[in-house]
Amino acid sequence: MNSPIAGNQMSRFFQQVAEYTRNAISAGKYLIQGLAVTFDHMGRRPITVQYPYEKLIPSERYRGRIHYEFDKCIACEVCVRVCPINLPVVDWVMNKETKKKELRNYSIDFGVCIFCGNCVEYCPTNCLSMTEEYELASFDRHSLNFDNVALGRLPTSVTTDKSVQPLREFSYLPKTIMDPHEMDPTNSRAGKLPEEVMDWMKQESESAPKDLVESINNQDKKTEK
Amino acid sequence: MTISSSTEQICFILLGLTVIVGALGVVLINNIVYSAFLLGGVFMGVAGLYLLLNASFVAAAQVLVYVGAVNVLILFAIMLVNKREELKPIKALQIRKILSAGVCGGLLILLFRVDLTTKWSTPGPAAIGEKATERIGEHLFSDYLLPFELASVLLLMAMIGAIVLARRDVLTSDVVTGDVVNQNLIEKSNEPILIDQSNKQ
Amino acid sequence: MTVLGTLVSTGLDLELSFNNILQGFGFSPEVAHILWLPLPMLLVLSAALIGVLVTVWLERKISAAAQQRIGPEYAGALGILQPMADGLKLLVKEDIIPAKADSLLFTLGPVLVLVPVILSWLIVPFGQNLLISNIGIGIFLWIALSSIQPIGLLMSGYASNNKYSLLGGLRAAAQSISYEIPLALAVLAVVMMSNSLSTVDIVNQQNGLGFLSWNIWRQPVGFVIFWICALAECERLPFDLPEAEEELVAGYQTEYAGMKFALFYLGSYINLVLSALLVSVLYLGGWGFPIPIEWVARIFGQNIDAPLVQIFTGSLGIVMTILKTYLLVFLAILLRWTTPRVRIDQLLDLGWKFLLPIGLVNLLFTAGLKLAFPIAFGG
Repeated sequence: MNSPIAGNQMSRFFQQVAEYTRNAISAGKYLIQGLAVTFDHMGRRPITVQYPYEKLIPSERYRGRIHYEFDKCIACEVCVRVCPINLPVVDWVMNKETKKKELRNYSIDFGVCIFCGNCVEYCPTNCLSMTEEYELASFDRHSLNFDNVALGRLPTSVTTDKSVQPLREFSYLPKTIMDPHEMDPTNSRAGKLPEEVMDWMKQESESAPKDLVESINNQDKKTEK
Repeated sequence: MTISSSTEQICFILLGLTVIVGALGVVLINNIVYSAFLLGGVFMGVAGLYLLLNASFVAAAQVLVYVGAVNVLILFAIMLVNKREELKPIKALQIRKILSAGVCGGLLILLFRVDLTTKWSTPGPAAIGEKATERIGEHLFSDYLLPFELASVLLLMAMIGAIVLARRDVLTSDVVTGDVVNQNLIEKSNEPILIDQSNKQ
Repeated sequence: MTVLGTLVSTGLDLELSFNNILQGFGFSPEVAHILWLPLPMLLVLSAALIGVLVTVWLERKISAAAQQRIGPEYAGALGILQPMADGLKLLVKEDIIPAKADSLLFTLGPVLVLVPVILSWLIVPFGQNLLISNIGIGIFLWIALSSIQPIGLLMSGYASNNKYSLLGGLRAAAQSISYEIPLALAVLAVVMMSNSLSTVDIVNQQNGLGFLSWNIWRQPVGFVIFWICALAECERLPFDLPEAEEELVAGYQTEYAGMKFALFYLGSYINLVLSALLVSVLYLGGWGFPIPIEWVARIFGQNIDAPLVQIFTGSLGIVMTILKTYLLVFLAILLRWTTPRVRIDQLLDLGWKFLLPIGLVNLLFTAGLKLAFPIAFGG
């Protein structure tokens, strides 16, 4: 019993027990911390958007379904060339008498389109434009192949639909407001609006030269050192 | 005959039938899984008989030990080695069946004889009902202490044996030959356990 | 069989008055007794079912709140009828038995899972005399009955003829056998202090000094062990390995649809409510009010045996039991969204290497304390 080996083993055993107990207690502590986090979340407002009755307003540069104006199109086929997969189908014939292209049909298959917006970017006559329409679900994938009539339809808008309550997205809410439901619609969003940014930029450009010179001078001093 | 005694009669007949039919099924049915489940049914029937005899603690212990532990263990064993193997035909199966039936019949006749010749004192000692649990405890720790302890030692031995068998890594060399033991532990082997091996032979 | 009905010890006896009314109509006392017998059982059965409906609704609502969602909203006010709608949907769904399944065992499995759980409600007390049967083996009956469940799980796992089902069934059985032992040890420590297996005696022994005499103060370790084991027995997160979606599809329930699936669903929720009830009975003083009701009655100058006071204390007891139970259900739901699922080896490690030794030490400690301080630990 009193031999040093037995004593050593005993102390090691007790060390192990102590470490095990410490681990168990810390596990319990972390569990309680986790429970506190979960409990804390229960006091927060739900962030649910009740979709068919409420919809989020898409942001300004939202890339939704592409709108197309037949009369503006000159059948230049730039859209086809900039498209990653040459998706738009431009059906035209050369009118021999007038020596001009005569457009017959134009179609984009939205089942294949990735909504990159290159065609809209490069269209020389601005006959293509992005809309904020995103509800394109259909029973048959072939009905996603929009022809020029379908492409020319006016997009549905969340804000003008009487049966839908439009909700602002998070970044369009005023400061400290998290819930878009009971918010005064006249409140402007957090941060500067585009026109305010314009004003600010003008002021900056008036005072800019002086600042710029100073900053350049500072940099020179640093490099000399 | 009062309603309570006739209820008791009906319960007894039903439980007796369950036990007998179930036990026959355990022996006679070819499907081993059915046999195992029927065994659980037989245990439950026996527990019901105990309950009818006012021995509720014994009934609950029967359910806990036999149904909850023994029967589940049997089922586990059957399901873990669930190889769909065709058993080899046994020679002279018919004669073996007749022989074993004869042995069982002889035992049954002996039991009947004991039943008929013994003078049963009816009614037996008065049921103590809810006090039975305390009485069992007292007996276990006074006059039945030695068998109780022996049984627990037996169980301990069985448990240690099972651990040694299951953990072959505790024995690095064979006790008899002294060779290094092949440590093909189940979790280390690459062969899947639950596969149909009937066409492998 | 002592039967539910004697609401109070002296004042009202529902069974007696029911029998008297029936005998006034010309029935014999025995017939009247037989007519009385199913009534408390039906009452408790419907209580269990309503408890499940409420629990399902709470689970969905609280889960939604924990995840900043809304949860069921359109079926009834605040979605209160959603569990009914779920049940109705399962009721009218097609009952499918897979072609290669063993149809007999496939049907019997869910029944074997559900029946023991419902039977265990026999011993749940809602008041001094508000339970179906105050049998002497009380809490032991629950432990025995809950050991039948793995057979049903194994049966349905085997009968489905599906590898996920079989694995799920085996896991469920292994888990419920492993956690039965520490559970029984934790219960045993409580039983040792109250000198009785009967649930009524266990509660009575805790109600001397209000909430100060609840078992949770004397058995904190036992409480934690019991709660962990109860969660494991109910197959709730973090111990829901038998139906781990990511690995086993749905475990033993994979092949089930319609009402047979509903039986599993019902069984698991009844089991959850039952476990919470038993925790409140064993550790939180059951129907006891935090302040002893006798003191309150004395302050208001009321006689505790007066019929009106008796009715009041009886209903207060029911409210207290249900309140404690649902607090525990709430904790279980909160745990569900807090803890990750353990692995099977971690599960068995926790059961055999942690809970079992701690349970044994707790039992030994309780026995020692009982010998040392017989007043505080039920001599």
